[in-house]
Amino acid sequence: MKLRLFLFLAAISVVLAVVAAPLRPARRPRYGGTLRVEIGTIVRSLDPSVAANPEEADAKDELDALLYDRRSEDGTFVGAAGSGVFRLSAWEAEKSAVFAANEDYRAGRPFVDSIEVQMGRSTHERLLDLELNKADFAQIPAELARQAADHGVRVSASQPDELLALVFLKGRTATENARVREAIARCIDRAAIVNFILQKEGEPAGGLLPQWSSGTAFLFPTETDARSAKEIWTQISPSPKLVLGYDSVDTLEQSVAERIVVNAKEAGISLVSRAIPNPGTASAHAGSEALRGDTIHVDARLIRLRMPSPMPRVALAAFIDVLGPLGGIEAGPLPENASPEDIYNSERSIISGGRVAPLVWMPQVYGLSARVRDWKQPVAGESWPLADVWLDSTTDAR
Amino acid sequence: MCNWHKPMRLLPRFFLRVIISLAFFATTVWSSQVQSTLQMPPEWNKALDSLADKIGTTAKPAKTFSLDVRNISSLNADDVSSLRRTLVENLTGLGLTLTQRMPADAQLQLTLSESAEDYVWVTEIRRGGAREVVMVSAAREIVKNPSSAGPSVTLQRKSIWEQAGKILDFGLVSDAVAAGSSILVILEPDKLSFYEYRSGEWQLTRAVAVARVRPVQRDVRGRIDLPAGKAELADAECSGNFQRPETVTCSSVAAGYDAAFVTKPIFMQGRTVDSYVTLAPACGIGPLTLVTGPGDWTEPDFIQAFGLKNQAGAVSEKILVPGPILALWASEDGNSARVVSRNLQTGAYEASIVSVSCGD
Repeated sequence: MKLRLFLFLAAISVVLAVVAAPLRPARRPRYGGTLRVEIGTIVRSLDPSVAANPEEADAKDELDALLYDRRSEDGTFVGAAGSGVFRLSAWEAEKSAVFAANEDYRAGRPFVDSIEVQMGRSTHERLLDLELNKADFAQIPAELARQAADHGVRVSASQPDELLALVFLKGRTATENARVREAIARCIDRAAIVNFILQKEGEPAGGLLPQWSSGTAFLFPTETDARSAKEIWTQISPSPKLVLGYDSVDTLEQSVAERIVVNAKEAGISLVSRAIPNPGTASAHAGSEALRGDTIHVDARLIRLRMPSPMPRVALAAFIDVLGPLGGIEAGPLPENASPEDIYNSERSIISGGRVAPLVWMPQVYGLSARVRDWKQPVAGESWPLADVWLDSTTDAR
Repeated sequence: MCNWHKPMRLLPRFFLRVIISLAFFATTVWSSQVQSTLQMPPEWNKALDSLADKIGTTAKPAKTFSLDVRNISSLNADDVSSLRRTLVENLTGLGLTLTQRMPADAQLQLTLSESAEDYVWVTEIRRGGAREVVMVSAAREIVKNPSSAGPSVTLQRKSIWEQAGKILDFGLVSDAVAAGSSILVILEPDKLSFYEYRSGEWQLTRAVAVARVRPVQRDVRGRIDLPAGKAELADAECSGNFQRPETVTCSSVAAGYDAAFVTKPIFMQGRTVDSYVTLAPACGIGPLTLVTGPGDWTEPDFIQAFGLKNQAGAVSEKILVPGPILALWASEDGNSARVVSRNLQTGAYEASIVSVSCGD
């Protein structure tokens, strides 16, 4: 009897496996369809000669990457608009854009026929549209990745390639004392920032490069040391009152700044947080002038640094370009053939100078609809590879 | 059923089993150690020499050392033990003595790590209250599978070439055939490139452009057939004597369905497999089928060998590949396979050869 039951169940399993097999995703891409993309920022113009404000720079860069053939070594776009994998077929400034496949693109036409981009969609709207299958692709803040996945959104996260760091600004009397900087850097509970604020979507940072890129991040400690921070602070007389700035439109920076204030209080350090209006979000290849936040007095500020390349030498050089003028960090140029030891020594020299305190590494997180196939997370510095994705017609958009 | 006498009969059999198991274990450990040492790439030996020199210089005037090894890279256990043993030998050669008695003059913590480019082997040297760090990098040349008692075939993947641009297929003309230096042929969507191995590195000697009437398809496929002197794409063809690159020319042909590049799917292991190759009989198993993983182009992949006749059980461990396998072709002799993959970590396209060896 048991044998018969076993044979019956085995037969059912085989039939189910055979029936289910064709439903498995095919590896061969299909052409056609419209990819619906939502972005949070508002892009005023796609013309590369029109300067973008820091908030729209990243999004504009992504859209321009669809239109232009390629980039030159300095990151500027090469060719005429429309020489890229897509051509602009409709444009409503600050609202929407439609890109049509360029049939004559030298590396082959994209798989999708067109891309519709909706701009200025809030995080909540983007998440909701992904949940309701009204959008195919949207970027999600790292701290909301878990929540999005819990709501059934298909989530794709990159290697952690964005550093959130605290920079002690150049020329501020209060932080010229290295012991002051050391006390603050030691009291920060990075693990708590990762676990509670980022919802475990990230990792504590002790160095300026992530472990997957440099291979040496493990040499930089990330543990909190509130006791020694307290000891150091008691030796400083008179103890200064410090102000930590954060981007007023960046809710993650605000949460992290408030958390650092709590850590500082526990160590007896007098630190308050303050929003800096309109400094914009920074990327390693953005200019550093916009990052200063000179309109309101702050002694230190939080800064986001995105790796422009997975290669440790390139990423570190770009970070130094931003951190140098901001924090008065001086570091010699890295040679083309810099060894891991050269890169580690340069990194260690900056960290031991105490002008920058790395906090956490965050990934780039994207929400995708079920019909998007062959989405590959862009490597640090790459644009969204939307030309390579295709839409599975067996999973219709609603 | 009375079986009271069984324990008496089982006792000697138990000891026999223990002895056989120990002998088997010892042989396995010994053979895997010998195999690992033999298979360690020369570049790794050089890197370890350099690391030992750095440690020796930094640890002076230490006479004894302790060594703790931690692996946070993709190296397997055999590689780790092999690297440890070689480093100890190198340090011993420099006059340092490994000691278990604490505290040693210098306490070494070796961390086997990896970056986006290479392996990074880091040694923290603690001497008194001081801590120094020295490190070397080593090419990620070989990815071997861990030996195990089960499967009887071992797959090895050797990286040949990597580049930022898309690779469709590649071929190697050995120096014996090319009468001089080896030739590496790389087929890309828009060109066929020839590299010669000179002065320890591949140098570009010729690139033949693939002219087209229409832009290339985004999912273009291609294949090199070295013996026939041909490289085929759906809408172009290159031909000539690949041992003499100057004879090779490329021309556009009428675009057709690229069925030649698509293998007929087979059903095995409860799934449809559309990326596989069949290799020549090996290891007494008969023809082998190398199969890739079920993921799409967004996921890491693997290669695993199955017997062609009995596809129920794998005959090798999986070789992990850090990105999707985009092309898999059997070599001309049928003893190995050409693999083109894309590393999801670096974005680079990688050409590698997967070969088969027998034994545990």
